[in-house]
Amino acid sequence: MALRADASRFYLGYLWWLLEPLLWVGVFYLVFSVILKSRQDDFLIFLMCGKLTFIWFSKAVSQASNSIVASRGLIAKLDIPKSLFPMSVVQESLYKQAAAFILLFVVLVVFGFAPSGTWWWLVPIILVNYLMIVACALVGASLVCIVRDFSMLIPLGMTFLLFTSGIFWNVHDLGDPAKTELVLALNPIAFILDCYRQALMWNTVPDLSHLALVALGAVLLIGGMLALMRRSSQYLALKALTA
Amino acid sequence: MSPSDRQVILELEHVSHSYRSRRDTFEHGVHHILRDVSLKLYEGETLAIIGRNGAGKTTTLQLMAGILAPSRGVVRRRPGASASLLSIGLGFRPDLSGRNNAILAAMLQGASRRQALAYLDEIKEFSELGDSFEEPVKTYSTGMRARLGFTTALKTHVDILLIDEILSVGDAAFRSKAEAGMRERIAGEQTVVFVSHALAQVRALCDRAVWIEGGAILAEGEVGEVLEKYTDSLSNTAP
Repeated sequence: MALRADASRFYLGYLWWLLEPLLWVGVFYLVFSVILKSRQDDFLIFLMCGKLTFIWFSKAVSQASNSIVASRGLIAKLDIPKSLFPMSVVQESLYKQAAAFILLFVVLVVFGFAPSGTWWWLVPIILVNYLMIVACALVGASLVCIVRDFSMLIPLGMTFLLFTSGIFWNVHDLGDPAKTELVLALNPIAFILDCYRQALMWNTVPDLSHLALVALGAVLLIGGMLALMRRSSQYLALKALTA
Repeated sequence: MSPSDRQVILELEHVSHSYRSRRDTFEHGVHHILRDVSLKLYEGETLAIIGRNGAGKTTTLQLMAGILAPSRGVVRRRPGASASLLSIGLGFRPDLSGRNNAILAAMLQGASRRQALAYLDEIKEFSELGDSFEEPVKTYSTGMRARLGFTTALKTHVDILLIDEILSVGDAAFRSKAEAGMRERIAGEQTVVFVSHALAQVRALCDRAVWIEGGAILAEGEVGEVLEKYTDSLSNTAP
């Protein structure tokens, strides 16, 4: 229902679900391909695999972070699980992302990247990506609810991730394999973006044990956060209402 | 019927509530809203909470609904009893239509989707919103919002209905209709806690009253007596 409301707010409505990611890709393409002359092969596709999936993460987590605080009106009236608010934002983002994925697939096929067997690896990759988003959304929403100041740090953090996750540069072209390893190990976003490219562009199987590890980490974090948020429901309400 | 032979559905035991606001953490940071409040709510009764602005009435309702946890003391609710707090400007999502908001509100109060849909016609009819029911809530006037909020709570089932000021808005015609609707629910064994400044309404609807001032209970008991003390204090302080 919120999706319907969201779409009704703008003249172009649902079209924005496709238009917004496209415009982002356009901006990045202009800067890194036309102006900075990136040497990456198939830069447009490379960029889209990274940027379209990164937008999913950054938009969902940013919006979810403010979701508890933004729902003060409802929180003042009902004792509802506070995890509901970030979860519903993430759920909405999933539907929007479906449009972005379809766009990505269409462009891939148009540019001659025919669907291959490795595309099936998208299923676990998207699932793990989703789990990462849920985990970060829950953490972000709780932090912003308890200390409002965190909302200032989240855009900064997103920009940091934007630059460090290999969206417009290839994590395998860093020159030093040890550095590549380090980036992939420290930054799960860089890892998951690389997984998308491996499956979609290079027809290789991603590092499954690493993927499983990220999934496990995300699941543990989600479980912990849900338990914590259930136990501190009234505390979060107090914080949301009085801070 | 005396309240003592009825079952206690909700009980506040030595409840104090305070919180620390971040802005002046150093000196006056701690706000004391309630100090050592104990009261019992019996099944089927209608209890009024009266007191001046800032006395702690809304906080008391929020504690009763389990939205907030007391800093000290215990709030005991009978297991399984659902409580819902109603106040002006219920947690509507402004971009959604009145219909969708009503569904959402009913479901958040524990109704299944099918039950929520079943309430809809009744809600639409009672609230007299007509075609506006399909319009987004952001286009509603305050009175229309209050109508929707009140009707949604009235028609969906909750065990304890906590009403914050909501009957005092809306036009005269709707107010009398709302009062009649309330009276019907009260007769039907609805447990209600009622916060209002409209003393005539309190007198007409409630069995018992509690007067809260400065976070403490000053008087409790039969409606007439408590109201008398309360109005006396008002006329004393306001020359």
